Amino acid sequence: MRMKIDLKIMRPASGVAALLFVLAHTVALSAQVASFTLPDAPTPNLLAFADGQQSPTQATPPATSSSSPQTPSKTGAPPSLGDLGLSPEQIQGNAQAQALLDKRTHMLKVHQRLGLLTTIPLATTLFASAGAPCNHNCGPSAGADFHAALGSVSVGMYAATAYYAIRAPRIPGTEKKGAIRWHEALIWIHGPGFILTPILGAMALSQQDNGQKVHGIAAAHSAVAVTTFAAYGASIVAVSWPIHVKFWEHQ
Amino acid sequence: MKNRCLLVFMLLTLPALPQADRTWILDQSTLTYHMSHPLHEVDGLSHAAKGKGVCHAGQCDFLLAAPVKSFDSGDSNRDLHMLQVTRGAQFPIVSVRLRLPEANLASPTLDCDLEVQFAGNTAHYSHVPFTQIVEGTVHHITGTVPSTLTDFKIDPPSFFTVPIKNEIPVRVDAIWHPL
Repeated sequence: MRMKIDLKIMRPASGVAALLFVLAHTVALSAQVASFTLPDAPTPNLLAFADGQQSPTQATPPATSSSSPQTPSKTGAPPSLGDLGLSPEQIQGNAQAQALLDKRTHMLKVHQRLGLLTTIPLATTLFASAGAPCNHNCGPSAGADFHAALGSVSVGMYAATAYYAIRAPRIPGTEKKGAIRWHEALIWIHGPGFILTPILGAMALSQQDNGQKVHGIAAAHSAVAVTTFAAYGASIVAVSWPIHVKFWEHQ
Repeated sequence: MKNRCLLVFMLLTLPALPQADRTWILDQSTLTYHMSHPLHEVDGLSHAAKGKGVCHAGQCDFLLAAPVKSFDSGDSNRDLHMLQVTRGAQFPIVSVRLRLPEANLASPTLDCDLEVQFAGNTAHYSHVPFTQIVEGTVHHITGTVPSTLTDFKIDPPSFFTVPIKNEIPVRVDAIWHPL
């Protein structure tokens, strides 16, 4: 019996441990800013220089001519990028910065897919919660075990989702604008929620298995869970906002 | 004698006058791309374009260029994704070149053959109509470049597994003046 209780607690605890592991890395990684910078936006630089153009077929950065950057374009010659006041640094491609963007996009795509997939066990856990609590003659129940197992899967998948967002490289000099700000702000609700919910759930399960009605702080398990689920759903909607449903116009 | 010298001078220089180089400068501009998805309609704007035109021997060559990263759709996450799919770090500039007869520069409509370099590829667009309003020396030109993702070999980004539309028209609103 003692061993059974321990296993029940261990199930949600394993999800929490995974989440804590990810969050522990957050501190170290939040300061991790990629060292590569994207080419600067143009400045009102009146210096002119002769330049080469972007090669239409080569997948290499556009080359610049070896001419002096101060040389004005020849009389009657078509204008070049240098004539516009763009510096070689602004024209020159940066393969490392591109690789960084590629890595960022890849990780955020995985984050998006995992995040959407996580809604499946999360919603199922909520539905399964109907069979979890006891009304009388409390004790071990299959409904509560099933609910706890689904919750553990949800927390584990949430941890993996968070991992890919946290590890995605930051792009220096980017001011966050638009829907992403709401998406990130909601972390402050569903992040702690995903830690608290399984802890409270484990406490509630333990009390129930000991033949007690759920009491104390454990009684807040369902309220915390619903709030967490709502914040998580809102986070998904927020990052997609504004939505203009126009399926009939799409080809 | 003095008048004769002046006449000879004028006769000699007159044929050369049409050949004189003339430079055009882009005062201000707004480039706007439009992206369509069943769930999203997005416009990305850039006011950072720079442009110059050089007229020589009756022909004018124009160049307009903007940093890809200067396009702002109002969502930094989307802008970074746009920068990634268009290989904007590797090919940071989008440029448009066109050649027009100098005699047509005051026309209310301009029929332009464009060469657009973007995402490491070059696309040509023939007979793109632009409208022009001339006020004094200021030429206000508007038109839309019918660009597509496939023109530049860009893989269409997708959202909820549904790709965006291939058509990415770019509206050009530019004010030029001759120097």
